[in-house]
Amino acid sequence: MEALFFNIDNGFMEGVVRGYKSGILTQNQYANLAQCETLEDFRTQLSATDYGGFLANEPLPLSTSTIQDKATQILVDQFNYLRSNAVEPLNKFLEYITYSYMIDNIILLITGTLHERDTHELLERCHPLGVFDSMPALCVATTVEELYQSVLVETPLAPYFRDCLSANDLDDLNIEIIRNTVYKAYLEDFYHFCTSLGQPTTDVMQRILAFEADRRTVNITINSFNTELSKEQRAKLFPTIGRLWPEGNNQLAKADEIDQVRAACENVSEYRTFFTDVQSGGHTNGNGNLDELAAATQLEDRFFRMEVFLNKQAFLQQFQYGVFFSYIKLKEQEIRNITWIAECIAQDAKDRIQDFIPIF
Amino acid sequence: MSDEYPSLLRSERMSLVQLFVPTEVAHDTVHELGELGDVQFKDLNPSVNPFQRSFVGEIRRIDDMSRRTRFFSSQIDKEKDVVPVRALYDCPPVITVGPRAAQTVDELDTALAQYEVKLTKLNESYATLSERARELTEARYVLRETAVFFDKAQGQTSNIRSSFDDSATPLLTSHDDREGGYSTGSSFDLEFVAGTIERSRVPTFERVLWRVLRGNLYMNHTDIAEPFVDPSSGDETRKNVFIIFAHGDVLLAKIRKVAESMGATIFPIDANADKRADALREVETRLEDLQTVLYNTGVSRRSELVRVRESLRVWEDVVKKEKMIYETLNLFNYDVRRKTLIAEAWVPTRDLTKIQLALRHATEESGTSVPPILHELQTSKTPPTFHRTNKFTEGFQAIMDSYGVSAYQEINPGLFAVVTFPFLFAVMFGDIGHGFIILFAALYMILREKTLAKQDNGEIIGQYFFGRYIILLMGAFSVYTGFLYNDIFSKTLHLFHSGWTFADNETKGTYNGNTYPFGLDPGWHGATNALVFTNSYKMKMSIVLGVIHMTFALCLQVPNHIRFKRKSDLYTNFIPQMLFLQSIFGYLVLCILYKWTVDWSTSPVSPPSLLNMLISMFLEPGKVDPEKQLYKGQGFVQVVLLGIAGVCVPWLLITKPYLAWRETRKTTAQGYEAHDFGDIVIHQVIHTIEFCLGCISHTASYLRLWALSLAHAQLSEVLWDMTLDGRTDPKSVAGWVGLVIMGTMWFSLTVGILCVMEGLSAFLHALRLHWVEGNSKHFEGGGHQFAPLDFASEGKEA
Repeated sequence: MEALFFNIDNGFMEGVVRGYKSGILTQNQYANLAQCETLEDFRTQLSATDYGGFLANEPLPLSTSTIQDKATQILVDQFNYLRSNAVEPLNKFLEYITYSYMIDNIILLITGTLHERDTHELLERCHPLGVFDSMPALCVATTVEELYQSVLVETPLAPYFRDCLSANDLDDLNIEIIRNTVYKAYLEDFYHFCTSLGQPTTDVMQRILAFEADRRTVNITINSFNTELSKEQRAKLFPTIGRLWPEGNNQLAKADEIDQVRAACENVSEYRTFFTDVQSGGHTNGNGNLDELAAATQLEDRFFRMEVFLNKQAFLQQFQYGVFFSYIKLKEQEIRNITWIAECIAQDAKDRIQDFIPIF
Repeated sequence: MSDEYPSLLRSERMSLVQLFVPTEVAHDTVHELGELGDVQFKDLNPSVNPFQRSFVGEIRRIDDMSRRTRFFSSQIDKEKDVVPVRALYDCPPVITVGPRAAQTVDELDTALAQYEVKLTKLNESYATLSERARELTEARYVLRETAVFFDKAQGQTSNIRSSFDDSATPLLTSHDDREGGYSTGSSFDLEFVAGTIERSRVPTFERVLWRVLRGNLYMNHTDIAEPFVDPSSGDETRKNVFIIFAHGDVLLAKIRKVAESMGATIFPIDANADKRADALREVETRLEDLQTVLYNTGVSRRSELVRVRESLRVWEDVVKKEKMIYETLNLFNYDVRRKTLIAEAWVPTRDLTKIQLALRHATEESGTSVPPILHELQTSKTPPTFHRTNKFTEGFQAIMDSYGVSAYQEINPGLFAVVTFPFLFAVMFGDIGHGFIILFAALYMILREKTLAKQDNGEIIGQYFFGRYIILLMGAFSVYTGFLYNDIFSKTLHLFHSGWTFADNETKGTYNGNTYPFGLDPGWHGATNALVFTNSYKMKMSIVLGVIHMTFALCLQVPNHIRFKRKSDLYTNFIPQMLFLQSIFGYLVLCILYKWTVDWSTSPVSPPSLLNMLISMFLEPGKVDPEKQLYKGQGFVQVVLLGIAGVCVPWLLITKPYLAWRETRKTTAQGYEAHDFGDIVIHQVIHTIEFCLGCISHTASYLRLWALSLAHAQLSEVLWDMTLDGRTDPKSVAGWVGLVIMGTMWFSLTVGILCVMEGLSAFLHALRLHWVEGNSKHFEGGGHQFAPLDFASEGKEA
């Protein structure tokens, strides 16, 4: 039924976003990019893709950060175009997408202020999708309470912050706790919002958000090993959605080492492969620390691959909002890839150039 | 048919040629061929990445040069006083061929770089200067506005003083402290922050401050009237002056921090009025000095731009050409010793000598003695389709090309469209008046062709301009059909003696023996049965025209079959199709014509309905009711015709697959591998069904000629009745006013609705009749367009 009326409001938008999607770089184009010798080659090569002449007016020499900024700018422009053409509830849905960037920006600003960085420099580093009016005022606050009262109360994020008002001092650990609590609240809220949108959006988005929640749960667990974070506190940070919830989450809350994490994830068949060669990490040889680091990056990499996979799947279904979310995420991954390749070219680290995550 | 003279009947004969170009003349050769615009180069290294090709370095350099020219033109665009750019044809050309070519390009490159450096430097200094000027202006505003504010506050002192006694709130106390400090003229103990902030941010700023300070502040702000212009981007920003009073260092520090992070500029303002006045004076003088410097910088920047614009167009042109040349060179192959470049290209066979001449000319120009060698290759590849058009045929060819590019050397429907297209259009659009309107519009465009072609006409007018010769013919033909229909703005012309006389107050006309020699008798105009008559007439006419058009289109198969040596197709496809069409619809047309020739008023039988005749020909073959008989022996003739049509279907269906099957059997018997026989069968089955059903539906489709022409005539009549009817002979002043108003309305609606909208609709229908009804009878298509390297056309597109 929903397919019958979907196109009245959203047909154009879906068409646009699917058009954007077909501009995502392919395996072949990545292969061409990876063969470039210099960043100028890189630019020539990119100009043959959907990026077109986005770097044509940049004076030489190019820097990787310009490439990244310009590419992000394209994404932001596309997103703003979508957003300004969207009607409810798609509009709300797109707004939800920006919340995660807003959270990141807020945390960045708070952390930056804590370490007494220059405010303007911090503002420049904020993701343009998560910018809001009163954001600059964040750097005045010194406590969470103040933060909430002065700035956040008027942002849409206010309800998420209500839960963490108890943390009084702003230090690194507390900020990390705040970030995770807020993100948990955000994920749950988004999840419920998507549920309210009805099939098939619910179906697609729940799959993606459930994975996102699980990824956060696992990451929190692994990162909290050997820190001051108590196990009860840790358990509070886990989102109450996802495929690991509730049993997996309970197990993870009690976990002390990576093997236990693996055991918790065994129950979900898709996650089983994440740990196949990670497990041996801490045990077999002496310098376990280094191995654990490698294992963590490998795990992160697999998470990204899984995310890309899920987001690609969202495009298999029509008449749903998941494509908008997925497109933004895929494009973000693509920008990360481009930056990585550009970085490898700039630093002449050709051997690692293949370590990006191909999308199509 | 001869190949001596260029004709639109078939696309040009093409040859694949191979060019051996010595490296040193390669650039000049390609330049010369690009100017000629007659050679389509093939990509000889399709597997090579764009950046691994031979001339990437040059292309990159050219790209950088073109970035610079873009930078210049954007700078010129931004300049507030318009700097007119000298047009290309006014500039002395930069020669980029010949022995000095490389040097010229080098010089151009350095010149561009120098100009860029100069301009950027000037821009930078201009930007810093105007930044400083902006700051000073802001400071001046802040000083002025705060002064105004303080003055006002001083005036209100007494009021506030009186309120002080009643109040106990800390905010008001501090208010009063300030006022107290003021009124006594002593030092000022309430601190404040003053500065400027972007106007759009003021509400947020206020809100955030209010929250951060929990309301412990007093803020005032006023608009700055003039906008601040960013010199590099030209964007305008509007700002506000704000002044915030608060108490305590902590709060002030917070205010400052918030203000800074919101992008405000804070100015140190003294509380003392005298000091403020001093500061204001100082700021004013500094601003004045700065303004002079700024003006001078602006002038020198402008003079630099004026120098740039002198030759900007030439540079852009050179850069564009050079880029195309190197991109073409990238398609070439190097020979083993890397001394010569090898190119393959499609050229019209007719122009081979012209190209040889161009090559020789290029060698002479470049001052070397080694000429490029050109020789023709034998190939089995399909050459591109190239129709040599001129400004007249261009539009008609474009109409046909947008349906599909015809196969190489196929009969080109674009040639016949020159006549049939405007004619079918005019059948639907027939009106002398409307025809003249579009004829004159087209004539205007054609007479002012030279000026109009030079300027940019925009998308819509540009399209009309492109089709001006189509419109011209459409107009002329519409005038002709208008005479046939005897229609001028829904009225008639009474040129000859009408065949009908109407006695006074008689509605029934009597025949007076005259025959109206050309077109419709005006006696029909206004008759009660006029519509019945014209409908019957136009409907039959459209069937007649339709069958003629389809028959003609079908005949165009023949030269194709002969040309492509498919003689068997003549009797497997063409003859059965022709028989099928003629035995049903050809017969119908004959009957229509015959029925017109008979004087039914003196005939013993009433005129039979041809539609019913056609239907009963299928339903009850052989039986014709003598009451409805058109001629003697009709039943027998119809059975024979139906039989022929019936035989044609299996004939069409079977013969071609049968011949193919026999061919296959022969080749397999000789030991060759068999072809895919199934494809031929399926293709022929589809073709047969399509043709037989198509004949019926296409004939019916031509009825649109009648429908549109009827709609057009009726619409113009309605328009006349609603506006001008009865007003053409005004008796009073009001009548004249009414005539003028209604007349303008009538004319604008005639142009807008009847000529433009109806014209477009008739155009679309004529288009459809050509694409679907006409082309389906013979068109093969599937060719690819000849796309030569051509500097001129590229320049037009850009």
